[in-house]
Amino acid sequence: MIKKRVSDSARRARNIIWNAAGRYDFDPPFLAYFPNGAPDDYFDMVIGLTDKWLELPRIWDFFARYGRDHRAEEFDEFLWLGIENCVFEKELAERPVLARLRRERAERFYRMNQALSRQQMEMQSMPVYTQHEARWAEVLGRRALLLPREKRMAEALRFPGTLDTDGVLAAMEAFLREFFRYVPGDADREPEKPGALARLLLRHEHRRHDRLLVRAGTGEGDHPRAVHQRHWGMGRSVGPTEEDTAYVRAVFGPCLLTGKELRALENELCIGNDEGCRLWLAGRGGAAEDCADRDAAEVRRSAARQRERNEAFLREHAAQAQGSVRRLSTRIDTILSSYLRRMPEPARAGRVRPEAAYRLPVLNDARVFLRGGEEVESELCVDLLLDASQSRMNVQEILSTEAYIIAKSLEKVRIPVRVCAFRSLRCHTVLEVLKDWKEKGCEGVLRYFAGGWNRDALALEAIGRLDGGAAARDKKRILLVLTDASPNDSTPFAASDTLLPQEYEGAAAVKAAEDAVRGLRAEGLRVGAVFHGSTAHLESVHQIYGHAYVRIQKAAQLAQGVSDLLLMLLRETRTD
Amino acid sequence: MEELFSFLETEGADAALLDGVREFRAKYPPAEEQKGRVPAPEYFYYGKKTWELALAALLSGKNLLLAGPKATGKNVLAENLAALFARPMWNVSFHINTDAAYLVGTDTYDGRAVVFRPGPIWLCAAQGGFGVLDEINMAKNEALAVLHAALDFRRSLDVPGYDRLDLRPETRFIATMNYGYAGTRDLNEALTSRFVVLDMPVIAEENLQKLISRRYPAIRVKIRDQLVKLYAELERKAESAEISDSALDLRGLLDAIALMERGLSSGDALDMCVVNKSFDSYERGLIRDVIAARIPADLRRADVFEA
Repeated sequence: MIKKRVSDSARRARNIIWNAAGRYDFDPPFLAYFPNGAPDDYFDMVIGLTDKWLELPRIWDFFARYGRDHRAEEFDEFLWLGIENCVFEKELAERPVLARLRRERAERFYRMNQALSRQQMEMQSMPVYTQHEARWAEVLGRRALLLPREKRMAEALRFPGTLDTDGVLAAMEAFLREFFRYVPGDADREPEKPGALARLLLRHEHRRHDRLLVRAGTGEGDHPRAVHQRHWGMGRSVGPTEEDTAYVRAVFGPCLLTGKELRALENELCIGNDEGCRLWLAGRGGAAEDCADRDAAEVRRSAARQRERNEAFLREHAAQAQGSVRRLSTRIDTILSSYLRRMPEPARAGRVRPEAAYRLPVLNDARVFLRGGEEVESELCVDLLLDASQSRMNVQEILSTEAYIIAKSLEKVRIPVRVCAFRSLRCHTVLEVLKDWKEKGCEGVLRYFAGGWNRDALALEAIGRLDGGAAARDKKRILLVLTDASPNDSTPFAASDTLLPQEYEGAAAVKAAEDAVRGLRAEGLRVGAVFHGSTAHLESVHQIYGHAYVRIQKAAQLAQGVSDLLLMLLRETRTD
Repeated sequence: MEELFSFLETEGADAALLDGVREFRAKYPPAEEQKGRVPAPEYFYYGKKTWELALAALLSGKNLLLAGPKATGKNVLAENLAALFARPMWNVSFHINTDAAYLVGTDTYDGRAVVFRPGPIWLCAAQGGFGVLDEINMAKNEALAVLHAALDFRRSLDVPGYDRLDLRPETRFIATMNYGYAGTRDLNEALTSRFVVLDMPVIAEENLQKLISRRYPAIRVKIRDQLVKLYAELERKAESAEISDSALDLRGLLDAIALMERGLSSGDALDMCVVNKSFDSYERGLIRDVIAARIPADLRRADVFEA
């Protein structure tokens, strides 16, 4: 069964395809699975070999041409049988094991069919089943009972290995025409994207309502659901109202800073570009039932559902997560041991301790030398800052798991770590503490959810000002930001000489974040970024963080990427 | 080591360079008591160009830094060079806690007085050996500063409180470094400038074929070629970060062939020597998939080797 895009075991299926194709720089349009969800390794290999020997994009275009027909899945199955024969013949000389794998696939076909219930059998397409049986019977040297038309189909599906892409396309088209009187049309056209004006209007409309979007769909990000909240307006002259602050309090719970501390922090940071903005340091928000505000209660409920999804995702990927924690903590441990000073210990050889030299003749104690011991001074602490804006909505589970892995790995090597998420809404930039320095365990990180905007510069400055706490005292602080390097906020820049408010977005917002990072570094904080964004924002991440960032495109790169980044930052601390 | 000379001649290495090595050997023959330290390599390094570059550097009196990713044969080449030049070899494995005392020597008490106990670098310099500084970038740069004078034109080691030692003229240092390991670092310029740097290429398929055939002459060509392709596929997978490079282990592949020769099935041998090098169960599954796409799991000795 070859399916278009299913998610279970996808990594393994993709790996088989990439391996057979001999390249890893494409996203396979098809993945093959058995009905029980396990990758069909033989057909995955066939897909990879199709890319190796033929032009996969053109083959894929052909499949797309009949994608809307109700028989599309049937056609897929037939045509892949044809392609299978073609690439098998092409590859066999290069990979002799293929004949054996093909035989095993054929045997598996018969074994699987014996295990099928009558109902399952009835659900299968009989013409497809017959053609599969014809192919696999031939491979095993058995005889399949076929009607004359079925026999002709089986012969037509034996695409020879001498065909090139044009030949295969012609054979596919001829097959559909002869046996189904079907001529594939044009590929389905994608709906046109809205034009610039429409986008502007949409954005304007969106701004007008400034919603905190919290996903409440299937877990695939397909049904974003808006939780209504009134926006304070577009004009820059209007600051946050009491109502806005009450809403933020209702959603995130009381501010962890006292009124005086908060005012002092805002007086220091909410100036210049950020004048009129407010800050909020949140801990655990509390249950929806305890919230009088209906909208806020709905956000809390959605956040709780997201937490369950994060936890379920971590459970499903527990083995991989544990592996990543093990790898990352080992790497960090090794790096730390090489960068932190070893505590000296007495020994029988090494550097002489003049003050202890008398012990040699007097006490006959030869341990008057010093050498590097096993214990190291721990002098680091790490702040992990997660972008929790709406743009992260479709990767919430992945981000929470990655943050969990990083925090857990640091905890394992006894480095104090604090995890905060940041987002902006209704003029407030909220830092939500998911795991505090002293907190044991990292499960709090799974409370992460995405929604709102991201005013990176203000959030970075705020985290820089926050007290490191007792656990972090006298230690060098490293700030790791999980970011897409695309700051934007509905609250425009305050200090603008233009008539109209300057939106908080694009180059200006990136520049503000760059200035914030530079400021933090000047104060001795080491700042690095784990970049999850698109290639379009690569330049921005480079501008904001300089060379101190790593790009993570898949979880497997996390251990290497984060440890490389820490190594880079530690080198900087070493040269202080 | 005539075998190594004839191997290099077969590989087509520059005759003038080989003559240079013969002259060096004639000029600096190993003392009788040093002969036990002259290595007798099990594997030969394949790669004519790399050989020529290394020979030219050492004949010119330079120290050599072999830099490259895992499984490029850095240590094999270093050992081969010491064998070809017939010099005693001191192999110093660098680690994160390497310090000057470990390299040059340390104070100790001999029952009557505090005395100097020489380290491997001192011994190598005093006896005109080849010092292999393995994974040199695992050590802190400040620990390596002690080597500066030994590696540059001064060619001496000065230990405060003790004597200065001038290196014997035949002394050479060959360092190896890997870019990718955790805990490694870039060498500082001061140290790097004291070496000529040889960027070690990944072994070519053709050379891996030769290496396997030389070590296991009875292996069937068809199986050998599939093993070589398997290695290339694992390499690509590691490069694409789909698996870590723990399974990308040339020694592991050769060990697997050795186990097959001993009678283990191909599946068991590759499991022990390649797959199980990864401690991540998911990753092991991916590696097994690659192997299954090349080598059947039930090959026995008779399938792998000619009678």
